[in-house]
Amino acid sequence: MLLCILSCGLSISVAADDITVIKADRVDTVTSGLIENGIIVIEDGRIKAIGNDVEIPETAGIIDAPDKTIFPGLVNPASRIGLSPPPSGGPASNPHYTVADELYPHQDAYKRILGAGFTTIGLVPGGNGAAGGFVSYGYRFGPSPPGTGITGQGLVVRPIGQKPEDMIMTESGFLMIGFQADDRTKKVIKDALESAKNKTSSTDPKVRPLVTALQGEMPTFIACGGPGAMLHLMKLLEPYDKMKLVLIAGSEKYRIASQLAEKKIPVILPAQIDFELFTRNRINPPKMLADAGVKIALRPKADSIAGHEDFLREIAELVKCGLDRDIAKKAITIRPAEILAVDYRLGSLEVGKDANLLMLSGDPLDVGTKIHMVMVEGKIVHKAP
Amino acid sequence: MDKKQMNCVAPVPYLALALFLMLMVSPLSADRPVAAIKGGDLYTITSGIIRNGTILIKDGKISRIGQNIEVPKNARVIDARGKVVMPGLVAATAEVGVSGSANINKIADSLDPFDYNVSLALASGITTAFVSRGRPPGSDPIAGTNAVIKTTYGDLDNMLLREPVAENVSLSRSLWMRKTNFLQNLRKARDYLQKLDADKGAPDKAKRPQEIKKPSGVDAYIRLLRRQLPARLSGTTAADILGTLELVDEFGIRIIIEDAIEGWIVAEEIAKRNVSVIITPRQKRRPNEDISGPSGSTLENAAILKKAGVKFAVVPPDASFTTWGVAGRDLMALPMEAAFAVSGGLDEQTALEAITITAAEIIGVADRVGSLQVGKDADIIILDGHPFHHKTFVELTLINGKILYDKKKSIYFSHITPDD
Repeated sequence: MLLCILSCGLSISVAADDITVIKADRVDTVTSGLIENGIIVIEDGRIKAIGNDVEIPETAGIIDAPDKTIFPGLVNPASRIGLSPPPSGGPASNPHYTVADELYPHQDAYKRILGAGFTTIGLVPGGNGAAGGFVSYGYRFGPSPPGTGITGQGLVVRPIGQKPEDMIMTESGFLMIGFQADDRTKKVIKDALESAKNKTSSTDPKVRPLVTALQGEMPTFIACGGPGAMLHLMKLLEPYDKMKLVLIAGSEKYRIASQLAEKKIPVILPAQIDFELFTRNRINPPKMLADAGVKIALRPKADSIAGHEDFLREIAELVKCGLDRDIAKKAITIRPAEILAVDYRLGSLEVGKDANLLMLSGDPLDVGTKIHMVMVEGKIVHKAP
Repeated sequence: MDKKQMNCVAPVPYLALALFLMLMVSPLSADRPVAAIKGGDLYTITSGIIRNGTILIKDGKISRIGQNIEVPKNARVIDARGKVVMPGLVAATAEVGVSGSANINKIADSLDPFDYNVSLALASGITTAFVSRGRPPGSDPIAGTNAVIKTTYGDLDNMLLREPVAENVSLSRSLWMRKTNFLQNLRKARDYLQKLDADKGAPDKAKRPQEIKKPSGVDAYIRLLRRQLPARLSGTTAADILGTLELVDEFGIRIIIEDAIEGWIVAEEIAKRNVSVIITPRQKRRPNEDISGPSGSTLENAAILKKAGVKFAVVPPDASFTTWGVAGRDLMALPMEAAFAVSGGLDEQTALEAITITAAEIIGVADRVGSLQVGKDADIIILDGHPFHHKTFVELTLINGKILYDKKKSIYFSHITPDD
């Protein structure tokens, strides 16, 4: 048995047989409310039990945190963190390109964003259409695609590990479409989808991802220019009604909020208060989209280490400016998990889910709150100094 | 001078009846389509000014227009008493509503209803615009595409009016191959069409010597020769314009000449061939001392063209929209440019036509827009004064009968009230 005392005063004892129990002042499950004086039992990396009246196994290692809040690990659904800047280029269809082939696991960036509370990342592929907004600030018009067409497959990863296999969580991630409104880009996308439309399965690595996406078994992420471009793309993709579309957007997409709500297209957008175009009028695009009935997930406004470290403060700002607190909390945990189709195993604190969680000094949306400890699948991967 | 008094105002008739009808009118509801515009001075453009007139709108079209028209009960009515009501302005050249790179083949695929310029066009009273894309460098004299769009902010489905409406032609003298290629291709296409015609007339099809093959790359030239589309090209100097007119003489094609600064010098020649021009009345060009005849610009350009019988549209020096910079030089002040023509001696009516119905004719959409006439699209603007007065603002802009701009709600203009 190992016993260590952290500088912040909480005591952690880890049992040999991998059962850990966290006792905390408050456990915010996100999906099933707040549990005061909560107990979480973790076995084999998963949450075995959660509540205030939970039996604590005798052999368990106990993490006693009487003044702390437990919150699910944060999920960034669309990022290029730790990857190279993607090349630009004209419209092309390369569904076989995958993030799996361009991972660089040994990077400080992953340790740093883990420390900022991110336990799951959706990495968008290189040669992708989403890069513009990811490299720099993606606000106003949204990520403008330097490369367009079907640009590859993204992946869901944990920001830990020595090898790509350690990072990759799921075999299939999502298909990526980079779009700008012009005849050539439309043709490339349409031709690719038509070629796979009538197939039910394929072993061809250039076709299989298209078939999976067309059948809705894997989500399709979209990055496009302004809201007008999205109207073009929605029309283009109308015949493929099984596709599960997700829009990676800039702030200006609030202008088509009603159309997105009607089509039930969830939106990933930067967490930030913005200006109405060419004015000094402040707007809260996440709130505007949420009010229109669009399912939203939030990502850091800058896809950098600093952007990830500032993330919770930006969310607090959005809530201060009117975004519903509950919607905001879901938009950084369970909603991105749903969008990435991994909500069955993460995104909230529920029995059976991975023990991906943060130990916080207070409410996650209080700007004074510190992250004391980050756990991924039952393992402590970060402790505050 | 009061901006409402620029034209002599006829006594307002039937005031009592108008007031009576006002009382009958139900309150405005934002959801219902506009069914009537009542009480304004209607600048119909094609049938004079109707004082205290009424326009009825049905299914996005003008269904009735005149005085003493009964407004249906419970209709949504816009009260335009004391206002000027006229057709939405037509920009014969504009940079608006198209996204993406210059190299696109189809404007319909790149329309951007959320383009910032679209919102500024509405605020400027412009509801119809000619846009053009794709002029690659090189020796091809015909390139790219063009279209006429409506500035339906936020509404992609109703944006495109027609594409294409002309062939983008460039016969730059610095790229001499362009003119050579243009003439050679026109001749190739003409030979082909003549062979087709001869073949059609031949009595015995069996005796046909061989299949008539279409030469490659002449589709655009065939459209020109069949007069399906006009050629739209630039002709700044008198010499350029005369050179262009030769094409009409030799090939019988339709032509629209842009930038016709020296049009006044050859106005009679232009008129003889029924060629339309696009001018910018305030544009300056110094006389050329090296040539024997007259040259250079004159503010009287429009007036002289009118006298000769040339059809022309007016556009400002800058085809874009800005809320900053050199104010009044861009499409936010399109009526101002027409007013320059008036200071050069043009009558007001023709100046108004040059930014409405004549512009619509030149860009090929006069069957839909450009005047207040029964059956035309209800693209209507309501102004707080005469269109040529410098204090006049657009108060409301309607396209297909829908209010798309309301100055009272505008971020940029609601606070500006020059008469207060």
